[in-house]
Amino acid sequence: MLDTTAADFESLTAAGIAAAVASGRVRASRVVEATLARIRERDPLLNSFTAVTEQRASARAQAIDQARTDGRPLGPLAGVPFAVKNLFDVAGLATRAGAKINRDDPPATRDAALIERLEAAGAILVGALNMGEYAYDFTGENVHDGASHNPHDIERMTGGSSGGCGAAVGGGLVPLALGSDTNGSIRVPSSLCGVFGLKPTYGRLSRARSFPFVASLDHLGPFALTVGDLALAYDAMQGFDAEDPACADRPAEPVVPVLERGIDDLRVAVAGGYFKCNSAEACCAVDRVAAALGANRDIEIPQAERARSAAFIITAAEAASLHLDRLRRRAPDFDPAVRDRLLAGAMVPASVVIKAQKFRRWYRQEVVKLFDEVDAIVAPATPCTAPRLGQTTFMFGGVELPVRANLGLYTQPISFIGLPVVAVPVPLTPLPIGVQIIAAPWREDLVLRIARALEASGIAGPMPRRRD
Amino acid sequence: MKRVGKRKAAKTAKRAAALKHDAIDDLVAAGAQALGLTLDPAWHAAVKFNLRLILSHAARLDEFPLPDAIEPGPIFHA
Repeated sequence: MLDTTAADFESLTAAGIAAAVASGRVRASRVVEATLARIRERDPLLNSFTAVTEQRASARAQAIDQARTDGRPLGPLAGVPFAVKNLFDVAGLATRAGAKINRDDPPATRDAALIERLEAAGAILVGALNMGEYAYDFTGENVHDGASHNPHDIERMTGGSSGGCGAAVGGGLVPLALGSDTNGSIRVPSSLCGVFGLKPTYGRLSRARSFPFVASLDHLGPFALTVGDLALAYDAMQGFDAEDPACADRPAEPVVPVLERGIDDLRVAVAGGYFKCNSAEACCAVDRVAAALGANRDIEIPQAERARSAAFIITAAEAASLHLDRLRRRAPDFDPAVRDRLLAGAMVPASVVIKAQKFRRWYRQEVVKLFDEVDAIVAPATPCTAPRLGQTTFMFGGVELPVRANLGLYTQPISFIGLPVVAVPVPLTPLPIGVQIIAAPWREDLVLRIARALEASGIAGPMPRRRD
Repeated sequence: MKRVGKRKAAKTAKRAAALKHDAIDDLVAAGAQALGLTLDPAWHAAVKFNLRLILSHAARLDEFPLPDAIEPGPIFHA
């Protein structure tokens, strides 16, 4: 029999909780009670939750316990608590998307597609998570809700825009969270908070009933403390959804069965040129990962810097188009740092944006060719470990750069063409930093297999959380 | 020390350039008017900075020759 104290649940993974609930060693209701107690106790420091769905979670847990009592089958995530970035629709809540303006919207009437899929697998939603306003952010700071705090040093940033996801998973509040990634918003907080994050191929997971940022670049994906948990959640969420126009009509390709296949047959290279590390931490992390994978060759991702420029332009223009009416009606209610970029984006000539989209096509064609030579590419996830909250610049190769725009300088050229990536955390002292494992479109199986091999070797994994 | 001095000088030059009235100022003012956006004068400098930054990224793209026949990236299914 498991000891059902709150302290004991935190060491459990999603897979561990689901196994314990399925076997009857612990009730889902007890898991939820312990999770809610943990959130009450620790979230005042982390500021990761903007809503806790206590009643809903308790009711759902009771239903799972009843199903087990009745002998009905339980899903692979039975009793696993999870939380979502607050741009996912949650029935009964206004979809805040990190904005003061959206708090005035009517409550959502239906959950986001991915919440429905995780709950169909037995998982239990416990709340919505803090994020940068309208996802236009790499810091995890939010002028309306306050910053989410890094679980390894609460004076530091979580990274963003899915900052609450990094804090809640890294801080041990929930074993699983869902975030979004347009230019790096899953991978940056994964890196700074020391957790695993999966940004799947563009079009793989449904975005239905989530608040958009840049439709042609938006992805959704999971955060977890183990690769096995990422894979469990990912498998539960796969599958075509006609309600997301970008969702690919492909059959689900489960990765859990192949996760332990090893990597002996895989060719891995390290991204050179633009991706060469400029900080000791990023270099150390990439070197450790490369050594563990036997990746002894560099590969040049062509025109990566221009790819980032094109992503930058498309982001500004598409986001401005999305928010144009709100900019007309309620400009003073935006976070100034977001508003000023959106206003600038509204004034970008169409010829510039279309050229960026044409470049995107060219760049995709060239980068996909690289995967004839290699199966996966290793690159840093962030240029540095977590900056201090409020820090506005950091040093990069001897040059002072703004934090907000540049924490994603290694992630933008990759999501720009929708490649699947796992951000693997390397537990350096005193702070973790992530490394991107990148593969060809639709090869989530490869990036997850490699991440699992790194986890098994001890190179990658969450670092012990500070208890202060 | 020399490097820090150079950085400061570059920052000052950047600030001076940002303050100087130029075509970007006109673009911001005209764009706001044409799009029906009310711009608080206090926001102008930040909007100008960001628009200049976006256009500097555009200039980097402009230097790269693309084939005429290349299609834009997003996929539309009829």
